[in-house]
Amino acid sequence: MRFMVIVKASRDSEAGVMPSTELLAAMGRFNEEMVKAGVMQAGEGLHPTTKGARVRYGNGQPSVSHGPFALSNDLIAGFWLIETNSLDEAIDWMKRAPFEDGEIEIRQVFSAEDFGEALTPELREQEERLRAEVATR
Amino acid sequence: MDSGLILRMPWNDDGENEAPPNHKETPMRFMMLMIPLGYETAPPKIDLDPERVAAMMKYNQALKDAGVLIALDGLHPPSAGARVSFATGKPVVTDGPFTESKEVLGGYWMINVASRAEAIEWAKQCPASENEIIEIRQVQEMSDFSEEVQKAAAGFEDMQQGWGKALR
Repeated sequence: MRFMVIVKASRDSEAGVMPSTELLAAMGRFNEEMVKAGVMQAGEGLHPTTKGARVRYGNGQPSVSHGPFALSNDLIAGFWLIETNSLDEAIDWMKRAPFEDGEIEIRQVFSAEDFGEALTPELREQEERLRAEVATR
Repeated sequence: MDSGLILRMPWNDDGENEAPPNHKETPMRFMMLMIPLGYETAPPKIDLDPERVAAMMKYNQALKDAGVLIALDGLHPPSAGARVSFATGKPVVTDGPFTESKEVLGGYWMINVASRAEAIEWAKQCPASENEIIEIRQVQEMSDFSEEVQKAAAGFEDMQQGWGKALR
């Protein structure tokens, strides 16, 4: 099963404060361990919302607002994509993440099987082709 | 990114819109974070509307055909997820749903474009419904950081070979 681990934004991440060298080194070791175990597929940090935007739909025309956005527990600072056998295994990995505070959220990624009949054979083929093509780019 | 990218963008097909401003030569990675309002209370198993799936696949295909798409995924509702909090020094696990959430992530696209304006233009083309918001956030690259940070994070890009590098 694939999981997205969402790292929540904090006052520091939104202010663009970089983690200490010690924390970065600890994170590097953690990532290395996950890579060696074949668990980690991707991991990225996001620039603060000051540099971001939001697009809202409805009323015909999408409306755009520019960051920064009010800090809440719903804002995101980064993520990992990991593959484990269960949610519990994903949780066990993340309990070992070298965070000193803050919160992460673990969410299962949809696979083609989850879509049921809404994903017709044609759409499924298109989806598989699309993924294969972006993966070789 | 070559200028051909701009020409191939679907919103330029009718000739009404100009190329997005601030076009730079260096490609930038952006996450388009899909936030479906109400998803925070969705049951663990949800049904999808085939018509909406087909419309989204058309949009995904347009992103791919323009050479913009790096990766995309949909996420199961938070009611099937968990949170790990580090606030007390020891990890504390909470199972979903998370009652205090007002906005949760439903999925994402990672795209490679020349500017934030270009990312916004792509988001505007998304066949999203009225209860949805797309948040656009730039992905941090190693070159965004100081030398000291780059040194401490050495090897990180290699770790992403299974995904990040192959798609860049």
